Amino acid sequence: MKYLTLLVYKMNKRKLSVAILIFFSGLTPLLFGAEEIEPYNDRYCTTCHGTDGRGNFGVQAPRLAGMEAWYLKRQLENFREGIRGYHPEDIEGLAMQPMAEKLTNESILDILEWVESWEYFPAEVTIEGDAAAGELIYSQCATCHGAEAEGNEALGAPALSGQNDWYLITQLKNFKQGLRGGESTDPFGQQMMVMTQILADENAMDNVVSYINTLGR
Amino acid sequence: MIILERSLEIASNMLIASFREKLMPKLVTRREFLNLLGSAGGTSATLKAGSALGLLPAASIANSLDLLALGPNKKKVAILGGGLSGLTVAYELGKLGYECTILEASHRCGGRIFTVRNGDLIDEIGNRQYCDFDDDPHMYFNGGAARIPSFHNNLLSYCKELGIELEVFVGENNNAYFQDDALLGGKRVRVNDYKTNIRGFMGEMLAKSMSEQEMDEPLTEREAENLLSIIRSFGDLGESDLYTGSSRNGYKSGGYISHGVQKDMIAFRDLLQSELGRRALTAYEGDQGPCLLQAKGGMDNITNGFLRKVEDRVKYRAMVSSINVSNDGVEVTYDQDGARHLLQADYCFSCIPTHLITGLDHNFPSDYVKAMKYVRRGDAYKAAFQAKERFWERENIYGGITKMAGRSADIWYPSHGIHQNKGVILAAYNFRGGSYHTNMSQQERIESHIKDGEKIHPNYRDLVEKPVTIAWHRINHMLGCAARWNRNFGGWTQEEEFMFDTLQTPLNGRHYVIGDQISVNVAWMESAIRSAHWALEDLDKRVRSELA
Repeated sequence: MKYLTLLVYKMNKRKLSVAILIFFSGLTPLLFGAEEIEPYNDRYCTTCHGTDGRGNFGVQAPRLAGMEAWYLKRQLENFREGIRGYHPEDIEGLAMQPMAEKLTNESILDILEWVESWEYFPAEVTIEGDAAAGELIYSQCATCHGAEAEGNEALGAPALSGQNDWYLITQLKNFKQGLRGGESTDPFGQQMMVMTQILADENAMDNVVSYINTLGR
Repeated sequence: MIILERSLEIASNMLIASFREKLMPKLVTRREFLNLLGSAGGTSATLKAGSALGLLPAASIANSLDLLALGPNKKKVAILGGGLSGLTVAYELGKLGYECTILEASHRCGGRIFTVRNGDLIDEIGNRQYCDFDDDPHMYFNGGAARIPSFHNNLLSYCKELGIELEVFVGENNNAYFQDDALLGGKRVRVNDYKTNIRGFMGEMLAKSMSEQEMDEPLTEREAENLLSIIRSFGDLGESDLYTGSSRNGYKSGGYISHGVQKDMIAFRDLLQSELGRRALTAYEGDQGPCLLQAKGGMDNITNGFLRKVEDRVKYRAMVSSINVSNDGVEVTYDQDGARHLLQADYCFSCIPTHLITGLDHNFPSDYVKAMKYVRRGDAYKAAFQAKERFWERENIYGGITKMAGRSADIWYPSHGIHQNKGVILAAYNFRGGSYHTNMSQQERIESHIKDGEKIHPNYRDLVEKPVTIAWHRINHMLGCAARWNRNFGGWTQEEEFMFDTLQTPLNGRHYVIGDQISVNVAWMESAIRSAHWALEDLDKRVRSELA
């Protein structure tokens, strides 16, 4: 008993609780509830992405609700592999990358299931632009993303309608400036890097996103 | 001393302006510099400076709330977030008979009052850490709030009322170090050595300027003499008002049994190589000036003091999902234990950070949302190490702060646990540029702090272990440190003032946004309490008129 006391004295609190648990494993674990380590899962999404994944301008986190599972999976994998969220100026991408790095294939599937369970609400319109001018530009986007910006899985192009418009602007800028899509292992991103060169300036981006806003969802 | 330092600051501003105009392209001789000081106003600038004082926020006695007890009436209050402002509201309204419920999204209350000890979780998204410090009472780290100024009366008054023990926190310590690669080849310099020398040279210039100018100034002989003696004493000047070194920064050797041998002076030009110089005389004023205090055993004992009164009102891991404000109340939904729950209340106080409120389902008007979207989130960053031994005490450092030009910026030595075997030191504190370390991996962060610290303490790498990093920008349910309202150095714009008022004013008289984020002096516990008190007094007026 004396030895045990000494041993207990030398152990820190966490090790001690484990030792006691082992020692008294037949007893109710409730006694030691206070020592329990905070339960862990990877369902962190809503802290940044808002209630039911509706997106949050405050931390520039996009809407996940309504995002196609195949696209979300690809992006989580891209973040995990570091082919997205690699550029030092991609502030939000840099924040997402270490989160995704921790994800196992199982937890990605769990997240996809969770995201599917969220009800989709139309995103708020925050961008002002010339939608008519944007329609002309969008005809080139439509080839992949669809006339109604509904997306096309076969071409790997996600839906754009219904996404937060401020997020679409950020990503267009990121592609154009090489903050996203610069990795050779990201063929879709590379394609977007090329395509965004047709957008002369921020006005053109506002216009095309304003047009996407008219497509509704 | 403050008057003189402030005068120097003003005089130096004038000097800088004339430098830029006249002399910037070429080097300035000592003589030219002295002449310049005279031409820039000399004593007249010093005289005028007296009225420019205003370094400390208005001190006042603690706000004694005079709120109406409800008696037989019933009122339900939803408090969103268990930060200090939320706890203040719960505690005060609890005394008056309000039925309060605190919804706290995380596993702990306190918000940015966060003390890390053995076994504690640091819930950084993407970098979850458990603290592995030795399990001893003095082995803790205040990863958020860490200093209580002695004039933060409302906080101090709660500490007294709630039996929260306080002790002195040493901030300013002349025996701590300055380190800048640009200064003396990167050699560490005791704060005292830097300060004594820079004061000597500045005093010499001021004294010289005085003797040339005094006859032209509207000073009586006595006033002029006193001013000169203040300047001489400020710089510890010798004969002919020359600075030739001082014993203020200690001796090279001797001083007890044998006479002390004066230390060598650091050359004036060498002192001017570091940008840390501007912090030598002014780093510890206002909210950071002595006397500072801390809660004994960890700053979260403040949180615990409040929780002893309101713990039964707290729902943990209860994440708010929607807020709907009507004319007669507020409906809040929250997610807990995998289900969505409804909480109906007459009033709602929310200390959820504004940048997270914008992600909730709500029915707020557009000007309210616009203000929330405008506020930027701070990116303050701290890190700490467990030290295997208290090596700083061997260097005569007990508490206080070393300032480095490197990005880790600060090393704080604990004011508590003196002469124990080990201690926890702050290894980095970057208040305004925390993203630099936040964007690194945990290993990169630690390596960066070790490299900076090695410039101060030889063998630092071997002396420290068990690192923790607190990147507030990524802490779950926080995602930011102190709110940033104004975006220009020139102060607040009218639009910013308007947005602040919009958020401070309760929506429909029912929904209050509170916390240090609704103050103009963010990041202080006192500000969180003042914000809560402002809201409570506003509520009280409404309830009184309703019940009248």
